[in-house]
Amino acid sequence: MEKPKYKRMKGSQSFRERMLLATLSSTPIIIDEIRADDMIAGLRLHERSLLGLLDTIFDDSHIKTNLTGTQVIYEPGIVMGRKNLVHNCALTRSIGYYLEPLLLLGLFGKEPLSIRLKGITNDPKDLSVDTIRSTTLNILKRFGVAPDGGGQVLLTVPNVQTLTAVQWLEEGMVKKIRGVTFSARVSTDFEHSMRFTARGIFNNLLPDVHISQDHKAGPLAGKSPGYGISLVAETTSGCYISADTTVSCGRRDETGELDVEKQERKPPQDTGVDVASWLLQEIEKGGVVDSTHQVRLLFTLCALCQKDVSKVRVGTLSPYGVETLRNLKEFLGVTFEIKPDPLTGTVILTCLGSGLINLARKLS
Amino acid sequence: MAADELMPSHRSHKARQAGPSMRKKSENDKKKRGVSDTKQQNPRAFSVKSAVKQKRLQARSVEKSKSDFIFRPLIVGKSLVIKSLVKHFTHQNLPEVRGPITIVTGKHIRIQFVECPNDINGMVDCAKIADLALLLIDGSYGFEMETFEFLNIMQVHGFPRVMGVLTHLDKFKDVKKLRKTKQRLKHRFWTEIYNGAKLFYLSGLIHGKYSPREVFNLSRFIKVIKYSPLTWRTSHPYVLADRLEDVTPPEKVQMDKKCDRNITLYGYLRGCNLKKGMKVHIAGVGDYSLAGVTVLPDPCPLPSAAKKKGLRDRDKLFYAPMSGIGDLLYDKDAVYININDHFVQYSKTDEGNGEPTNKGKGRDVGEELVKSLQSTKYSVDEKLEKTFINLFGKKTSAISERKLEAEDAHQSLSEGSESSEDSQSGDDLEDEGKDVESNNSKIKQKTEIHGGRMRRKAIFKDEIDESDAMDSDEDDVEEAEDVETDENEAGDAEDDSTSDSQDSDEDDVDEAEDRVLGNISKWKEPLKEKGRKKNLNLMQIVYGAPGLSATAYINENQEISDNEESDDEEFFKPKGEHSKNLGGGWDVGYLNSEDCSKFVDYGNLKNWKEKEVCEIIRDRFTTGDWSKAALRNQNSGAGDEEEDDELYGDFEDLETGEKHNINENMESGADQNEDAEVVERRLKKLALRAKFDAESNKSELEEDDNDKGDGNNPRNNQAKEPGYVDKLKEELEIRKQMNLLELNSLDEDTRIEIEGFRTGTYLRLEIHNVPYEMVDFFDPCHPVLVGGIGFGEDNAGYMQARLKKHRWHKKVLKTRDPIIVSIGWRRYQTLPVYAIEDRNGRHRMLKYTPEHMHCLAMFWGPLVPPNTGFVAFQNLSSNQSGFRITATSVVLEFNHQAHIVKKIKMVGHPCKIKKKTAFIKDMFTSDLEIARFEGSSVRTVSGIRGQVKKAGKHMLDNNAQDGIARCTFEDQIKMSDIVFLRAWTKVEVPQFYNPLTTALQPRDKTWRGMKTFGELRREQNIPVPVNKDSLYKPIERKLKKFNPLVIPKKLQGALPFESKPKDRPRRKRPPLDSRRAVVMEPEERKANAILQQFKLINKIKMNKRKAKEQEKRKAYEAQKAKNEEISKKRNREERRERYRTEDKQKKKMRRSQD
Repeated sequence: MEKPKYKRMKGSQSFRERMLLATLSSTPIIIDEIRADDMIAGLRLHERSLLGLLDTIFDDSHIKTNLTGTQVIYEPGIVMGRKNLVHNCALTRSIGYYLEPLLLLGLFGKEPLSIRLKGITNDPKDLSVDTIRSTTLNILKRFGVAPDGGGQVLLTVPNVQTLTAVQWLEEGMVKKIRGVTFSARVSTDFEHSMRFTARGIFNNLLPDVHISQDHKAGPLAGKSPGYGISLVAETTSGCYISADTTVSCGRRDETGELDVEKQERKPPQDTGVDVASWLLQEIEKGGVVDSTHQVRLLFTLCALCQKDVSKVRVGTLSPYGVETLRNLKEFLGVTFEIKPDPLTGTVILTCLGSGLINLARKLS
Repeated sequence: MAADELMPSHRSHKARQAGPSMRKKSENDKKKRGVSDTKQQNPRAFSVKSAVKQKRLQARSVEKSKSDFIFRPLIVGKSLVIKSLVKHFTHQNLPEVRGPITIVTGKHIRIQFVECPNDINGMVDCAKIADLALLLIDGSYGFEMETFEFLNIMQVHGFPRVMGVLTHLDKFKDVKKLRKTKQRLKHRFWTEIYNGAKLFYLSGLIHGKYSPREVFNLSRFIKVIKYSPLTWRTSHPYVLADRLEDVTPPEKVQMDKKCDRNITLYGYLRGCNLKKGMKVHIAGVGDYSLAGVTVLPDPCPLPSAAKKKGLRDRDKLFYAPMSGIGDLLYDKDAVYININDHFVQYSKTDEGNGEPTNKGKGRDVGEELVKSLQSTKYSVDEKLEKTFINLFGKKTSAISERKLEAEDAHQSLSEGSESSEDSQSGDDLEDEGKDVESNNSKIKQKTEIHGGRMRRKAIFKDEIDESDAMDSDEDDVEEAEDVETDENEAGDAEDDSTSDSQDSDEDDVDEAEDRVLGNISKWKEPLKEKGRKKNLNLMQIVYGAPGLSATAYINENQEISDNEESDDEEFFKPKGEHSKNLGGGWDVGYLNSEDCSKFVDYGNLKNWKEKEVCEIIRDRFTTGDWSKAALRNQNSGAGDEEEDDELYGDFEDLETGEKHNINENMESGADQNEDAEVVERRLKKLALRAKFDAESNKSELEEDDNDKGDGNNPRNNQAKEPGYVDKLKEELEIRKQMNLLELNSLDEDTRIEIEGFRTGTYLRLEIHNVPYEMVDFFDPCHPVLVGGIGFGEDNAGYMQARLKKHRWHKKVLKTRDPIIVSIGWRRYQTLPVYAIEDRNGRHRMLKYTPEHMHCLAMFWGPLVPPNTGFVAFQNLSSNQSGFRITATSVVLEFNHQAHIVKKIKMVGHPCKIKKKTAFIKDMFTSDLEIARFEGSSVRTVSGIRGQVKKAGKHMLDNNAQDGIARCTFEDQIKMSDIVFLRAWTKVEVPQFYNPLTTALQPRDKTWRGMKTFGELRREQNIPVPVNKDSLYKPIERKLKKFNPLVIPKKLQGALPFESKPKDRPRRKRPPLDSRRAVVMEPEERKANAILQQFKLINKIKMNKRKAKEQEKRKAYEAQKAKNEEISKKRNREERRERYRTEDKQKKKMRRSQD
């Protein structure tokens, strides 16, 4: 056997994505200089936790990190996907961080995946679990997958043979807005005010707005107080555009100092206004998905499709989206044709799927 | 043959309409046995002018000919068929069949013929690429092993179409025998393929050629045959090379003859699209990455696609470079013209010297010229290099002057500290720092010119939002004036500004250049503008300049040196600057940016509470204007191009301050708009047509079915309700058309970037570092197959397959004996472990494959997707008598873990027994081992069950040793008992695979890999090791000696009399009763005598009667046999009559079916 050829990368940027794509294209990679210049060099807790998580659902993969954690050598194996797995996520990032790659990896597993993730459900940086349930899963359906996720942290992903390509240009018109506010260890008044202000924004535009509450108290509420809101706009053509946020307090960063963001906690009224405005901003940008989802899901899914042309419309490309596009070219050799559509201010991306099929799945 | 003409005439084959070179190829395989080849090569065959043509056929030959013929390895029948077909299609004679022969047979059809070599490697490769196999069968001999082997190989690798061709039918003198043979062979052929498979009959040779009529029939069938897509081939690109060139620098070869070579392979791409970075497998050589792929003009273009340059251009119908036919060969950078030697009369170089006597006649001028050409020492290139053309009276050459100029420019550029190259590559960090600043200032200047609007550069991540926000702020102000443009700009702010920055970069460069070159560069300006226009592209912003890659592959070996280098570089850079620059823009990207897909900035949200703001997106809601929203969706597709142009035109204005005429663009845009409509209509049409085609195909199929079936198939029902399959087909077709439409709208470069090279293009593949043997032992008669490797298929791992020993292979296969498998594109040797799945899901190892059953095989090798079939061989030599295919199989899954187990039986003896607990020794070797087996069940031979408890060391006395286990049983066991523990142990599957390198050795040599145990033993005369304990020996049982039963005295006393042992003293003499004699009285004696006499009489009577009865019985038996004979005869007659009528009926039915 000849020596494996490693693909070399630098830095911790789009770490999840690199691991994901390396696995799907079975390319061994080396990532160097992960925060080599930082005060605390190397992998963060959540990245280590993610590696641990990958190790549990993979078979025969080799993950090596050096002493300082600035280098990761990764040789992918086969995604097994098993039942009744449990993973304790690091507290530095919320579960949304882990769910994003897991959703895609699970699709290409040998067996259906069912995993219970324990950790923080919502935080400002990542997609909240509610949003994933309401929006992400709907996007997945477009590609012919219907995972049943949800609950708090129990994720079940079926495995597929291939994904089908999409032609997804029609944005449609927003017909309804749904949302959920959640709070834990705080008064329900917070939720009420968030709902109230958010609705206030939409009143000019749409009457069909429903925002439900998800209040948790007592032992159910977990350990840290916080509140947040997740909004989804559904259009006539079945597109889902989402916005969410969380305000929480008391979480300690890995560095030991309190996160700067935490100092300026927003009052619930402002949070409601902000998220609602953000949602409108996303709608204004256009595209069939919001900027958060264009990145991992839409682009990656398009690239993983059968050898057919996928065509999607998104709003402005986010930096992370650009990063994803580059990674996709690097790993899967999928290049997107990108055309701006100035009339609507959107971008149309066209690609030919890489024709990836689920190799691990057993022939029945 | 009459049978051929009876076939229903097929609709003419519909080739795919789209794509310039959608080709159909058929590949034919054929085989035939040796016949003396009487045909002489026609010298005129060399004069073939339109050398390019093709079609593919593979033929196999059998090297064994019947003993009464001369042994000719690669004789005839098959090559003769190819020659005949070529002659029929192109009216040209083919001198010899070597390599693929491409022939244009119709407007849209091109066929490539390949002759299949007669070894198993060639057969395997041919089976993988053939679309149609012509199996040539010697009618006078019957089927051969090779035919069946080939059929089996094809079956496993997806079954391409097969047509049989029976030859040598002229050998039969007897017509009846001929008919019988045909019938027999046809039915045998049908059982192998399917009922009704086409079998052709070529009756015999006329003037060394097959009869034109029969060849015509054959060719017609070849032309119209339909090809079914095969899974493996539709998902992997492959090229059958019809040309191979060694492009190693000659110096390198001269230095070392055995150096690794660089080769180029040419051929049509088939299967699916080939992407640029793809790895390939060359069958019989190994895996290589493509060093370069180039599209070459089609050497054998279809008449529909080729553009004739003049009337004199004749269609090139024929391309077969390996067969030495084809006058022109195209390469990337050269054209080779081949002229056959007998066409050219070389003038002798030494004529002048050798024949001075010829002085009398003055030489012709032309002749003079030719002679002088012949005697030149230097090539034109060399001469050119030495001569200078002086234009300005200076002494330097034009070339060098230009060089100098360029150098000047270059230097000044780098002095100017701003070069686009630098900023892109990020080599010069200091420079870049400045770059950023100056760019910003520049932009500000520009924006002032343009209506006093503030615009900011937005390529950097952190700046995008700001610019967005600013734009939107301004939008508020200017909204009333110009709503539409504002929308555009708000949406595309980022695009605009990125391109702005690029422009400004370039402008900087321009200015720098201007400064240096002054007026000279004025004329270049239009050129530059053109170039710039092309550069403005989102794709380039995202992906960077073409050809650049952010990462590179490296071997582990190189790692260290790389690290060192980079370390050095790092060392000399100030730390702060480094990171600052990294944070610069998208091109470089901040390496350690947070891995977060959310991209939110609440800082610059619009105030959505205001009504006016909301009005902007009013139409995006159902409460808004629906028609406008619909317009938005519609326009997007069509308006792309137009808007692009407009957009970019706008930019030009911004940057240069010049006015450009946008109207032109607008017009073209409108044209495109119309075009788009047309295209859409066309797409619909195509889809409809495809649907129609599918339906007509279906009905045809149905017809066939009906003919075959009993005729009462409810066809109408099926036609009315389109089934699931039809819907699926339709969907596929529409999808295909959509893809085509999408991709065709792109320009060539982007298209290749996105979808790769299309199937049907003629490609030149450059491959580096191929072993020299491949070039040295290259044999054009063997196909060179280059197959693309998919994702993950170059990794090795364990595969699990469902395998069945071939029923014609005589021996069962042994676990861990090497077999050669042909799987995917590859052929390699590997060591499988056979197993079978038990009822409880356990995979139990088998020492040998079952005789008539499927079993599992686990082996190590390069992975292939599940559901790929493969075929296994043990021996590749062609002089093997038996059936060479040992097994056929299909891959079920692959896992990196092998989980096959085998039974292990551990034996121990009790060393101490305490009631139901016993200490068992000899079963385990250590206490650790016992710990592993705690709780497992054990059993004695007599059937007493028990359990292992713990290591029993401390329970025993001082003499305790390691590995004694304490077990408990359901009953007390005996010291003489043997205790068994039955368990399962994992079996390791050897990590071994050895790719077949048949192309790296002379083709007639048999490839030798790892040998089996059996072979090695036979070679070295080592007997098979025998375990003595396993031998069966006659069972010797000792007679058991039982001790007499002793009843204690006390017990005896207590027993009842009956049960008491009766002890009688032994007597010395027998008792009186037995000793005394009986003396009868006279009367008694009398009576006794009479009784005796009676008995005697009775006995004699009985004997007589018995004899009589026996006689009677005999007679009866004889009679019975006679009767039976008669009835049997009658029955037979009856049965025969019945069978005859049945047979007649059957025949009648069959005839009616035919």
